Amino acid sequence: MKRLRASLLIAPSAALIFLFIVLPYITVLVMSFRAPAEGQPYGEGFSLEGYTHFFNESYYAMSLPQTMFLGLLTTLVCLVLAYPVALHIAFASKRWRGFLYGIVLSPLLVGIVVRSYGWTILLGNSGVINSTLRNMGLIQKPLPLMYNDFGVVLALAHVFLPFMVLPLLSALQAMDPAITQAARSLGASRFTIFRRVTFPVSMPGVQSGCILVFVLAISSYVTPALVGGMRVKTTTLLVVDALIDQFQWPFGSAMALILAVSAGIVVLIFARLTRMKWT
Amino acid sequence: MTEVSLLSLVKSYGKSIALKGISLSVGHGEFVSLLGPSGCGKSTTLKCIAGFEDISDGKILFDNTDISRRLPEQRDIGMVFQSYALFPHMTVAQNLAFGLEMRRVPKSEIATRVARAMEMVQLTPYAERFPKALSGGQQQRVALARALVIEPAILLLDEPLANLDAKLRDEMRGFIRDLQKRVGITTIYVTHDQGEAMTMSDRVVVMFDGEIAQAAPPEEVYNHPASERVARFVGNANILDLAVTGKDAAGSDLALPGGGALRVDSPAPWANGRLRVMARPEQIALTDPGAGHLGGEISKRYFSGGHVEYHVDTQCGPLVVLGPTTQTVAEGQTVALAFDPARLWPIPDPKGPAQ
Ligand SMILES: Nc1ncnc2c1ncn2[C@@H]1O[C@H](COP(=O)(O)OP(=O)(O)OP(=O)(O)O)[C@@H](O)[C@H]1O
Ligand SMILES: [Mg+2]
Repeated sequence: MKRLRASLLIAPSAALIFLFIVLPYITVLVMSFRAPAEGQPYGEGFSLEGYTHFFNESYYAMSLPQTMFLGLLTTLVCLVLAYPVALHIAFASKRWRGFLYGIVLSPLLVGIVVRSYGWTILLGNSGVINSTLRNMGLIQKPLPLMYNDFGVVLALAHVFLPFMVLPLLSALQAMDPAITQAARSLGASRFTIFRRVTFPVSMPGVQSGCILVFVLAISSYVTPALVGGMRVKTTTLLVVDALIDQFQWPFGSAMALILAVSAGIVVLIFARLTRMKWT
Repeated sequence: MTEVSLLSLVKSYGKSIALKGISLSVGHGEFVSLLGPSGCGKSTTLKCIAGFEDISDGKILFDNTDISRRLPEQRDIGMVFQSYALFPHMTVAQNLAFGLEMRRVPKSEIATRVARAMEMVQLTPYAERFPKALSGGQQQRVALARALVIEPAILLLDEPLANLDAKLRDEMRGFIRDLQKRVGITTIYVTHDQGEAMTMSDRVVVMFDGEIAQAAPPEEVYNHPASERVARFVGNANILDLAVTGKDAAGSDLALPGGGALRVDSPAPWANGRLRVMARPEQIALTDPGAGHLGGEISKRYFSGGHVEYHVDTQCGPLVVLGPTTQTVAEGQTVALAFDPARLWPIPDPKGPAQ
C-alpha cells in the first residue's frame, strides 16, 4: 500500500522523463542506424554508415576534439572567474548578498541570442573594440577577436558564468564559518586556509559547476554559431547542419549520439578524478 | 601554561557595545568558566582573546606581553568550537596533524604526536575515519585533541558540550576536566550551564550584559553571590526582604513576618533599613508549625529521585525548599521553615553599603 502510494507520487515525473527523454533517445538511437538516402531523410533498412562516415571524414571527426577543447576551456575560464565572485558573495553582508545575487543572475534574464549577438557587436572586425583601438591609432589591422576559439570561449564563458557561480556559492555557504577560524587558530595563513581548507571543502560545488558548464558549453548552438560565424566547427553545429540543412537524419543522429557519449565519458573521467571520499 | 590578563576590554559592534570594560586575570594552569545568559558577551570575550575580533579598547596580555594586535595564527591558542569545526575533508589523523604541519614539525614527530593525542582522547581506532562517520561525542574529542596536540599556551572552549545529550555531557565534563588537569593548560571555558561551570572550574566568572558580575571559586559564587541577579542565575535562590531591628559590629538582627527573628553576619543594611538575604533551597528545613522561623503552606510538591522539592507560600512570598525523601509532607499542609543563620547570605547593596 505504502509502496503503491509512493510510486503514484513519482508517476507524473517518471512519465514525463520517459516521454521527453527516454523515448526521444530511443528514437535517435534507432534513427542513427537507418540507411541514408537521397532526397528523403532516411532510406530502407539499417546500416552503420552514419557512424563510419563521421569517423572517416576528418572534417567531421576533428570537430569532436575541437568541441571538447572549447568545452573544457570554457569550464576552466568560468571556474577561475566565478570562484572569487562566489567567495565574495558568500562572505558579503546579508544586505549586499541579495543585490550581488541579482547581478550574477541578471544575464539569465536576457535571451541567449541577444547576448551572443551583443558579443558580435563588441568583437567584430568593425566592432566596438576594434574600431576604438583603430581610432586611437593603436592598431592598423583589426584584431581577430571573433570567428575563432577566443571569441567563442569568451562568449560561452559569459553566457554560462551564473551556472558556475551558483553551485560554488551554495557549497561555500554550506561551509561552517568556524572551520576557517579553527584553521587560523591552528596557525594557517589566509592563503593556506584557502588552499587546504576552503577550496577542498567547496569541491562538491566545483564539481557540479564544472559538469554543468561543460555540458552546456559543448551542446550550445546559438553562441558558437553567431560568434564563431560557422568558422569554429563544433559537433553540435554539424549535427544541426546534417539534420536540418542536409536532411540526413541517420548521420545527424549518429553524430548527436557520438557527442553525447563522448561528453558522458569526459564527465565520468572528471568525476572520477575529483572524487571525494568524505562527503 | 600562560597567564592571561584582560585589561578593561571593550568591544563594540557599531553602536551596540558587547563588552563594557572587562578586566580579568587567569592564572597559570587555571580553569576559568565564563558563565552567563545568552548574549551577555561570553563568545565575544573568547573571540577577542583568540583574535577573531579586533578589540575596541583595552588590552589583552599573555604573560605580561600585549598581544592585542597579534593575528589569531600568531597567538598560540587552541580553540574548541561549539560546532566542533572539524575539517570535513580530512580524516581524524589529518585533522590532528594540520596544526603541526602549520608549525613545520618534522613528519616523523607529527606521526608520534598525533598518535599520542589520539590515545589521549581514546580515538586511536578511528584515525582513518572522516568526521562525518563519527558520533557527536567522538567529533568533540577530535576537536579537543586537535586543539591540544599543538601544545598551545592557552585553551579556549566555546560551549563545547552544548550539542551533546545529557549523559554524554556529564561524561565529557569529567573527561575535559581530568585532561586539563593532566596537561596543566590555562583554560577558559564558555558555558551558559551553571552546573557545568560549577563542576569543572577553579573559578567561575559570571557575566551579564557585557560586564563581569562576579569572579570567584564555584562555592563562593554559589553561597555568596555578589548580587541578586547572580544569586538567581546560579542555581535556585530564595530572596527574603527583611527589616533590620538592630545592628552592631558583628551583625544585624532581622525580624521575620509572624514574629520570628534571625541574626546574620552583615556589615550593613540596605539604604532603606532593610536587608535582602538569600537562602538556597537545601539550606532551609521544613519543621512542624509553630517551630522554625517562618510559617507557610505547601503549595506544590515535586519528587525528583534524590530529594523532594517543595514550593511553600509564606508571608515573605513563595519559597522553594529541598527536603529529604525520608520526610513526607503533603501539598496543602501547614509547615514552618527553619533557616540556618550561619548560611544565610546578606546580598550586598548594589548602591554600596549604607552608612
Ligand atoms: N558580529 C556581530 N555584530 C553585531 N553584534 C554582535 C556580533 N556578534 C555579537 N554581537 C552582539 O554582542 C552581544 C554578545 O554576543 P555573544 O555572542 O558574545 O553572546 P554569548 O554570551 O556568547 O551568547 P550565547 O550564549 O547566545 O552564545 C550580543 O548582544 C550580540 O548580539
Ligand atoms: Mg556564544
